[in-house]
Order: sequence, then structure tokens, then C-alpha cells
Amino acid sequence: MSQKIVIDPVTRVEGHGKVTVHLDENNKVTDAKFHIVEFRGFERFIQGHPYWEAPVMVQRLCGICPVSHHLAAAKAIDQIVGVDPEDLSLPAQKIRKLLHFGQVFQSHALHFFYLASPDLLFGAESDPLKRNVVGVAMEYPELAKKGILMRKFGQEIIKMVAGKRIHGISTTPGGVHRRISAKERSYFLDDKDIPSIDTMIKWSVEIIDFIKTYHITNKIFLNSFAKYPSGHLGLVNKKNGFLELYDGVLRATDAKGNITLDDVPNDDYNKYFYESVEKWTYLKFPYLKHLGKEKGWNRVGPLARINICNGIETPLAEQERLDFKAFSNGEINNMTMHTHWARLIEVLYCAEMMKNLLEDDDILSNDLIRKGERRKEGIGIIEAPRGTLIHHYEVDNKDRITRCNLIVSTTHNNEPMNQAVRWVANNVLDGNAKITEGMMNQVEVAIRAYDPCLSCATHAMGQMPLELQLFDHYGNIIDKKIKN
Amino acid sequence: MKTLLFGIGNSGRSDDGLGWEFLDKIKPNLPIDFDMEYRYQLQIEDAELAKQYQRVIFIDAHKNNFKKGYLFEECHPKATDSFTSHELDPQTVLYLTDTIYNKYPKAYTLGITGENFSLAMGLSKQAELNLSNALDFFNEKMLNLVK
Repeated sequence: MSQKIVIDPVTRVEGHGKVTVHLDENNKVTDAKFHIVEFRGFERFIQGHPYWEAPVMVQRLCGICPVSHHLAAAKAIDQIVGVDPEDLSLPAQKIRKLLHFGQVFQSHALHFFYLASPDLLFGAESDPLKRNVVGVAMEYPELAKKGILMRKFGQEIIKMVAGKRIHGISTTPGGVHRRISAKERSYFLDDKDIPSIDTMIKWSVEIIDFIKTYHITNKIFLNSFAKYPSGHLGLVNKKNGFLELYDGVLRATDAKGNITLDDVPNDDYNKYFYESVEKWTYLKFPYLKHLGKEKGWNRVGPLARINICNGIETPLAEQERLDFKAFSNGEINNMTMHTHWARLIEVLYCAEMMKNLLEDDDILSNDLIRKGERRKEGIGIIEAPRGTLIHHYEVDNKDRITRCNLIVSTTHNNEPMNQAVRWVANNVLDGNAKITEGMMNQVEVAIRAYDPCLSCATHAMGQMPLELQLFDHYGNIIDKKIKN
Repeated sequence: MKTLLFGIGNSGRSDDGLGWEFLDKIKPNLPIDFDMEYRYQLQIEDAELAKQYQRVIFIDAHKNNFKKGYLFEECHPKATDSFTSHELDPQTVLYLTDTIYNKYPKAYTLGITGENFSLAMGLSKQAELNLSNALDFFNEKMLNLVK
């Protein structure tokens, strides 16, 4: 008799998702899917609002990376008031970047230390009562302390620039609304009230050393678990193709490194992307038009970004990128679990960039806002912690938003996460009628590598756990795991 | 005694805003060694903040129908499991403080009964009354003690 496994909810991710696995009469996997079962509809209810409200409203999509939505919307709204990214004042660009690096730094720290590290430190099949951040704090208190203080550092940067840690406001159309004071920045440099930015850089290097050692001792698991070929998409610097998180051009490669999207300007994204819809999930499936739905999907996020860029402008992170590339002999890296390593390289990059910006007197300047000629359309693309984030708005003559299209990072990673779930189904669950907690967690480990934000992706609200269901051949649920 | 008040909740969900409303109302009466923090939910970093105080009080709306409209009780460290690490209970925050820093503050919870948690601004009439009782208690028992 065929069966179906259901994991509901998936834990230690942001959002409520469900995994279903179908088995045939011999308990062989016939299908596996990752479902997002929430719907919120931000794209619709922002219509009719004045355009200047967008950067404030859309950040309510998320409590983890509201800054990314705030900045992507701000970049789009800049264009509505006739200001392109390169036309912003230099101080405004630098203050926005400082905010963005603080955001990515704290979000990556949260993901690695709080959500992913329990699986790495204790093992995917270890006691679930221990396999959480409390367990990490008990057995690795120094690591936990660093994780907490690194996240706090990023949040304090956000608070300085945007007024508060969550849902603060920094941007105004064409710039930012306030400068940084000398006293405010010294808080991050003098090593008195909180560990300084130099300490953040030192700790970032130490945690990369940890993950590199971990890769040596767990090579087989990390190189094989949920590995599959895919495209890789992200922004790169428009001048030199280096890693770029705030403003760049779109680049994609296939699984072997062949260019499939060649440094395309943000305004042209619509010429290259389609989004398909499936009945079984609220999450859409973006893909490159010219490659089609089957071949045109891409991973986004740290692994993709490190794969596609030509280099990193900060010296310590660049050295780590070279070590990372050497591990795969310079080839494109399709090993899902290497995403954590790539994420930590970005942590170091953000720390180095924050130091550069904090020591730059431009952030103290009052030259903050530019104006231009009013336009009807604006597109803002940014690299959020989890990957490429697209905000697109159209506005009427009365300044009301008439159309909004959001493609968030987790949406790009929809097919990649489904691929990862299928890998675990085929390699771990296949042949088992009964799923153990350890097996179930391996499904979640694969999903967690992407650090998905399911609430952003479907614009959901409310409690957000995840479930796993096991279905038989007749469609009956024969096993179910739910975490709350 | 250096004291931190955590007001927990969301004023966009009616009585869920009781924790924040409590802080707004008590603020003018607070002695200089009392600090306040507004939170949608407690997070892991709050363990680091809690360690800097001798006493911490967590104030939140509660669904239980307390006789006086509120319940003030001592809170002890305890590890609890949750599907997310972005929403912790006070006991777990104290547990993390103790585990990581080998010390934790004396702690209390002040739960104030709410009845409407739907999307709306402003407290229900019953929640207003319960808040008033909780404030009277706090002013009389806590703040008078430190004067």
C-alpha cells in the first residue's frame, strides 16, 4: 500500500511550511513537496496608498529582515522621485549601506548561531531536546555569547541608523532623513559599552575557522547532503563583478558556471523573469524566461552570491572566498550545506564593510537628499540576507500606488528547497514506512540551509511552524509529525 | 536596586498592548534606577540585557482571568522547547542568562488579564480596569518600597 509522510510544521525556520512525501506500496518515494500554506497579499493591499508610505508599510512583511524590504522599497521610490541609485548623495548611499550591512550581519548571525548551529554541533539525529539554542548555550557558552553579541552589534547599528531595531525608518524619497553623529559612531568603535567593530571582525574570522575545521571533519556529510545541480543568481558590482549587496546588476550562471544572465540592469528584470504558480503552494516559482520553467530556476543567497561574484573588495573576506573556491577547485559549488560556510564569509565581509563605513566621515555629513523629475515607475533590487529581493511599483498622477510586484529571496529558492526536500526523501526516507524524529529533522536541515523566510515569501502572519505528512498510495495520511 | 521592566505585546492587537500601555503609564513614576524596554516578543539577546540588572520584571497581557485582574509572581530560570527561537518565555530568557553568564537577576512576571486580542487599537474596558488595578498594585507595593 502506498503512503504519504507529512512534516508539519518545519521548525527553526521563519514561517509556516509543510512537507509531504508520497510512498508507493513498497515504501519507495514517488513524490516529495515543500508547501507554503499561508497567504497574506501585501502586493494587493498596498495599492491605493501614497508611494512614500511603501518603504514603511512593506517592512511589516518581516520582523527579521525588515531593513531589506525598507531599502528595496526605498530604492524603487527614489526612482519615482527621479533619483537613480548612483545619483543619491554619497553620505546617503553610505548611511544606507551601513544600515544594510548591519542588517545582513545580524540576520546571518541569528541564522547561524540560533537556527543552524544546533544541527552542526549536535548532529541532525541527536536528541531534539538538546538540539536547540538552549543546548548550544549549555555546551558551548562562549560560542553562544559571541552569537548573541554579534547579533546585538548588527541590531545596534540598525537602531543607530533607523531609530529602532525592528521596523525603524531611515530612508526618505531621494535619500535618508538623518545623519550619524560622532558620538553615535564612537559607540561602535571605542570598545566600551559593546565589543567594538574590530572585535566583530576578529570573531567573524574565528567562526569561519570553526566552520572550515568542521568541514574537514564532516566532509562526507557536508559535501553530499542535499547536493544537486542548479543555477545561481544574485547581484554583482556593475564595474568589476565583485560581491554586491546594496546595488548592482543581475548575474546568473548555470550549475557549471556558464553565464545565463549577463549583468542585466535592475530596470530590465521583467524582461528576463517569469513566475509560475502551482495549486499546492502559495509560493510562486520564478525562472528565467529564455531557459524555461524546467531549467530556468536559480538558487539565491550566500552560496549563489559567492559562486557568481568575481571577488570581494575587503581583504579578509576575499581571502576566505579564495579558500572557499579552492575547496571546489574553482568550480561552481552546488553543495547545499556549504551555504553556511558562504554565509559566514559574508558575515566577515559585512563586518569589514561596517568598519570602513563607520570610519568614513561622510556618514557625519548633512548632504542627505536629492530630487529629480517625477516618474511613474520604480524598481528596487537588493541582496537581502537570504538572496535577491525585487520591489517594483507603479504610481498614478495622484501619487497612489497602482501596482506592486514583490519577488522575495525565498520565492527564488522555492524550487531549490523542493529539490533539497526531494533529495532527503530519496536518500533518507525512501524505503521507510515509519519516520523517526531524526529523519524528519534531516528534511528540516535541508530547508534550513536556505534560511527561508516563509512569512516574507507569502507575506504571511500568525504563528509559523511546519509539518511533515506521510501519505499512502490511496492518499490517506499514515504518519504525521507536527511541532509547535 | 537596578531594575529593568520588559513590556511585551503589540498595541495593534487591542489588549495585547497591555504590557506597552503599562510602561507608558508607569514611566513618570519610575525611580532613576529603573529602565524600560518595549518588546513584541522576548528574544535571545534579552538574556544578555537581563544580566546587566539586579532585578527584571516581565509585563505582558494574559488570557487567564485573574481574580484581581493581574497576577504578580516570582519567575525562575527554566529551559523550554519552542518551534522558533524568536519568541522566548521569561523563564527561558533567565535560563539562558544563567547558563551563559553564570548569574541571573531576581525576576518576576506581571500578567494582566486581557479579553480582546483581535486586530484593533486601544484596550477593552475590562483590560483598562485590570491595567488600573495592576498599576495601583505596582505603585503601592513596588515603587513605595524603593522610595
